[in-house]
Amino acid sequence: MSEKSSDAKVFPVDSRFQQLARRPGGMPRAQAIERAQAGVDEIKQTFGDWFDKELDGIIVALPHSARGYADPGVWLDVVLFHCRQLRDVGTTMGHELVTFIAGNFCEVLEAIKAGAEPNAELIQLHVEALRMSKQDKYKSSTPADFPELSSGLHKLLSLTKAGSEPQGEN
Amino acid sequence: MKESNLNLNGLTFLVADPSAYFCTVIHGILRSFGASKVLETRDARGVVQNLTEHRIDILLLDANVPPMGGLKLTKTIRRNEASEYRTVPIMILTSDTRATTVKNARDSGANMVVAKPLSPSSLYDRLAWIAFNPRNFIDCETYYGPDRRFKIEGYPGGVGRRKGDLPVEISEDTGPALSQDEIDNLLKFTRG
Repeated sequence: MSEKSSDAKVFPVDSRFQQLARRPGGMPRAQAIERAQAGVDEIKQTFGDWFDKELDGIIVALPHSARGYADPGVWLDVVLFHCRQLRDVGTTMGHELVTFIAGNFCEVLEAIKAGAEPNAELIQLHVEALRMSKQDKYKSSTPADFPELSSGLHKLLSLTKAGSEPQGEN
Repeated sequence: MKESNLNLNGLTFLVADPSAYFCTVIHGILRSFGASKVLETRDARGVVQNLTEHRIDILLLDANVPPMGGLKLTKTIRRNEASEYRTVPIMILTSDTRATTVKNARDSGANMVVAKPLSPSSLYDRLAWIAFNPRNFIDCETYYGPDRRFKIEGYPGGVGRRKGDLPVEISEDTGPALSQDEIDNLLKFTRG
């Protein structure tokens, strides 16, 4: 549908944000970004401790028995919450591998939410991969540096997703 | 380039994201850019409360902000005829960068979609784009928000026009995650 059809009203908007942000005297882009990056670098010092707390949050929430996994309502949302947090800041904090593994883990959890069977071993594997990814020696590493890990996790994700898709009738 | 300089002095940002740590990061970045005030909230109720209690100049909403998510919240704000915030700039932050999600964000009335994890430069360039490229608003039966037919000719003072900046077909397929460049391409798709 065309947005400029006869019944659509079209009007200019120049919001307060736009008007004020364009005023002369602003900070040059390069300076603003340099300052922001310096701020991010300072926050990076807290990343290790924060990461450990998030990972603990995941470990504590995970069931301790196969029976526990059967009821995702109890643990799934908590694990997903911590996992999303790790995914959303990993790369910004210089840990691209954390974002990659947490992102894959989030997709596995979302597939479970959509009906896939929870697989305890697969979940534990992601936890271990996350624990590994935070180590200093893997900082600045990218998924491309670990092709076997990357393709393995992707493959496991595909299998999980396949389990959440409705089966066709025969 | 002269127009690349954002002047955020006197402006108030509202960031809605369930993660306190992410908020700390983005808070620091925005303050470094010169923003006078950055307010934070973890859920949609906090957004409504802040809009009532403060004069907010721009909203940065996580796509998963509980309980309804940033896209639905954007739609609610845009559709509220009585609200003074109906035309406030809204930026959606999301790590789900599949084509359908970006398209849905655009169709909810958001001005811009930024991929998580974000970098200072990607955030700065998109704020500058909103500031220096005001778009007409469209009010029709099915949509209220910035005109979805627009072109990104490169960000002011930032990276130039990209090799891949060509109209793209929007597919209904959920597809793989998109890069920030691909998101921008999708957002600038010119509707017929």
